[in-house]
Amino acid sequence: MPTITFITAEGKEHAVTAEIGRSVMEIALEKSIPGVVAECNGSAACATCHCYFDPAYADMIGAIGEHESDMLDFTASPRRPESRLSCQVRIADALDGMTVRIPAMQ
Amino acid sequence: MAHAVPVVSDIAFSDLLIDPYPIYKRLRDMASAVYVDAAQLALVTRFDNIVAIERDSETFASSNPGSLVNKVMGHTMMRKDGEAHATERRAIEVSFRPGTIKNHWAAQFEAISDGLISAIENQGEADLFDALAAPMASLALIELLGLREVSWQTLARWSQALMDGAGNYSGDPEISARATEASAGIDAAIDTVLAWHRENPNPAVLSSMVNAENPMNLEQIRANIKVIIGGGLNEPRDSILSLSLGLLSNPPQLAEVMANPDLWPLAFEEAVRWISPIGMYPRRVTRDVELSGVHLRAGDQIGLCVGAANRDDRRFENPDSFDLFRPKQPHLAFGAGPHFCAGAWVARQMVGRIVVPMLFSRLKNLRLRPDAPARIHGWVFRGPVSLPVAWDA
Repeated sequence: MPTITFITAEGKEHAVTAEIGRSVMEIALEKSIPGVVAECNGSAACATCHCYFDPAYADMIGAIGEHESDMLDFTASPRRPESRLSCQVRIADALDGMTVRIPAMQ
Repeated sequence: MAHAVPVVSDIAFSDLLIDPYPIYKRLRDMASAVYVDAAQLALVTRFDNIVAIERDSETFASSNPGSLVNKVMGHTMMRKDGEAHATERRAIEVSFRPGTIKNHWAAQFEAISDGLISAIENQGEADLFDALAAPMASLALIELLGLREVSWQTLARWSQALMDGAGNYSGDPEISARATEASAGIDAAIDTVLAWHRENPNPAVLSSMVNAENPMNLEQIRANIKVIIGGGLNEPRDSILSLSLGLLSNPPQLAEVMANPDLWPLAFEEAVRWISPIGMYPRRVTRDVELSGVHLRAGDQIGLCVGAANRDDRRFENPDSFDLFRPKQPHLAFGAGPHFCAGAWVARQMVGRIVVPMLFSRLKNLRLRPDAPARIHGWVFRGPVSLPVAWDA
């Protein structure tokens, strides 16, 4: 299983192994990573699982959908080029070693 | 060792309607789920339990064969789970996206709000329920759905009739008749405009339903429009009033928000935490399961009291006070999980960014009337039912 590393807003690192096919948001909740709120549990309706994804993996995490992009314009922390809703990114082998930064506010 | 669900028999239904919060505190401190005779449901009142339940829709289902909602409105997405729910939800999503709201609906909400406030501006006093909140919520919903030639009073009447019908556990024939009549009225109103929406794609909900990648059939359209009418009118209405009441009751916070408009979104979130417009909604237990030491059985009906969770003192300090400066953390006023309120962004924009800011900037020295105090009522749906105010006209 690939390993991904969450980095909280305070800089604390949590390296976890992640099951293929699940969303990054689900992994964060399952491993009790602080700062991923996910109010809507993966429906892309609440914009509270916003994370900053390692740009080196941009080609491997899939494209941003129109709806997701719209939600990202309304996140509590600023949208950046590497912003994604973590509920929309699926774990795959190619993501081994990726870091995911959690914003200060959801 | 898990215990059976404790039972409480000494709570009157009227106590819940008048002020549920002391009852909620008692239930929260008693157990994770408590069967309340007056409500005929096991009530879940702790924040963490509700979050956990909403993350497990297989064990705690929204679908319910015996649901009165289904009987009154048809088979709506609110009472479906999994892919059946997700497909219908995706069909309407585009109408409720934050970008669609900002670029399309905001201007319409502003025009409606401006018209209503202009009409009372010179009066010097009004009850904000009738003068602003009720017509605002209804007129905005008519636009959002894409209905035409329906008055705000008619839509408000339909909404109330559907909700009364959905809560008609005693089978009162008069309530059933009113719900049936409202249902027929809504079907006819949809028929009038549906072909137009099919031919003229636009951001309205009816257009999204027929022009989606997986369009809804007529039965789905009728049921889901009804659930949006039943469930989409009270909440903006009541949150307009709760936000106004919260600020009018706390002048120092009002002064801060007037000096710094960036605080409006925080004030809105605090208002719906403080008095959550939807206080309780049901789930059905599908298998025997333990919930924090209480044994729930397959088939149990449980009521998730988000109005109680939002005042859980394990989570919020001084939970009964309105304090927009409290540390920012999630609340459950929009629910959680797959059924997270589809209209959340509409409400944030309409109530928190447009109507209430416009109200306070246009009506100078807006204040409560000591001779006519606000009245707040309800528990399943809760909000101010009267909010008399005065201003310098």
